[in-house]
Amino acid sequence: MEAQVRLRCKELLSEKKVAAIWGLREKDECAVPFLFQNPEEIDALTLSPKFPLSFTCRPSPETILSILQKKMPGKRIGVVARGCDERALIELAKSERVDLDFVEVIGFPCDQAQAEECACSRPFPQNPIGGNKVAGIPEEKAFQKLLALELKDRLKFWEAQLSKCIKCYGCRNACPMCFCKECRMEQSAYTEIGWLPPEFPLFQFVRFYHMSDHCIECGECEKACPMDIPLRKITKYLRSRMEELFDYHPGLDVKRKSPILTTVDEDPVKELPHEL
Amino acid sequence: MNDNFEPRIVGFMCNWCTYVAADMAGVARLKQPPNMTAIRMMCSGAVSPLYVISALKKGADGVFIGGCHIGDCHYQRGNHSTLKRIMIVKPLLEALGIDSRRVRLEWISASEGVKYAKVISEFVDQLKELGPCPLREA
Repeated sequence: MEAQVRLRCKELLSEKKVAAIWGLREKDECAVPFLFQNPEEIDALTLSPKFPLSFTCRPSPETILSILQKKMPGKRIGVVARGCDERALIELAKSERVDLDFVEVIGFPCDQAQAEECACSRPFPQNPIGGNKVAGIPEEKAFQKLLALELKDRLKFWEAQLSKCIKCYGCRNACPMCFCKECRMEQSAYTEIGWLPPEFPLFQFVRFYHMSDHCIECGECEKACPMDIPLRKITKYLRSRMEELFDYHPGLDVKRKSPILTTVDEDPVKELPHEL
Repeated sequence: MNDNFEPRIVGFMCNWCTYVAADMAGVARLKQPPNMTAIRMMCSGAVSPLYVISALKKGADGVFIGGCHIGDCHYQRGNHSTLKRIMIVKPLLEALGIDSRRVRLEWISASEGVKYAKVISEFVDQLKELGPCPLREA
């Protein structure tokens, strides 16, 4: 797979179809994001370990790609993207954080081991340049056990889990979709500044709710969490509910607006069920 | 459960419809339980899901959101957002272990004082059955 991606990147660079390629470079046995501008450099391009390429540069709401696009106006940038990277790009483009007209996606599918590690339900981009797509892990697996619990046990479970939170804001900072300039999780109305543990469940509720129509399932929040809080149980559950209620999949179609932003006429819903 | 439990309801009501209906129910002396604390909003679309969870956290047993009927919104599309937000908030509350019946969204227009009184009585009965909100601080 790596050879194929390198070949394609070299082609694009030498044919001047793109001005630069944003990918991972191998350095001291680690993968670091790097902007490849010469075809000769491409030999150092690597695909693993997985590292998110379209992240937000906190505390500014810019993404690394929007900064690059400002520095190289009118030039195309190639992005070596996994399925999640591509979904992040599409979702960021909807919020006008990236201009997709100047992005060339060089997509490649993840292998089985990576898909299992991330518990990813869609470990491939829309148009991979090659390689075999492996089947994703169904989302239900993540929250089946949670839903089998009774309400009061669920509450106990989350009280125990979320009180472990040390308010490091790692989940927010790692998330490619968290780009608010002023974060609700930092406002005194919703959380007591300088106090641990954060108020249950207000603090995480903010993020869970904001992620409901944005989460592209990269799994970075859970990986970033030093206290191992199973945040994705909820984000995955909400994703499946979004699918059920609105038939909406974040990060698949750049033209489809989030159903929360549209009216009922544009995006019809069934009558609100009172007994959910 | 305590038999004398009286639930506390925080109601976010839209200035143009539900608040007027509540007013009307009062003026017409319709029988309604006194458990409601009304908060007048300019539009039900101004109700952030964070208000809902804050209310539940800070002492409410139930949250009522009242708006104009779809199509009647004073701001054209405010209540469309409310509907969709609440549709997501409910499963989120369930996943966290809070009964989603504690949140109720109703469309009550300015002339529907009778419906308002009926909905509130129903909601209070429902909350009496559910008991105090587990999130509520002592």
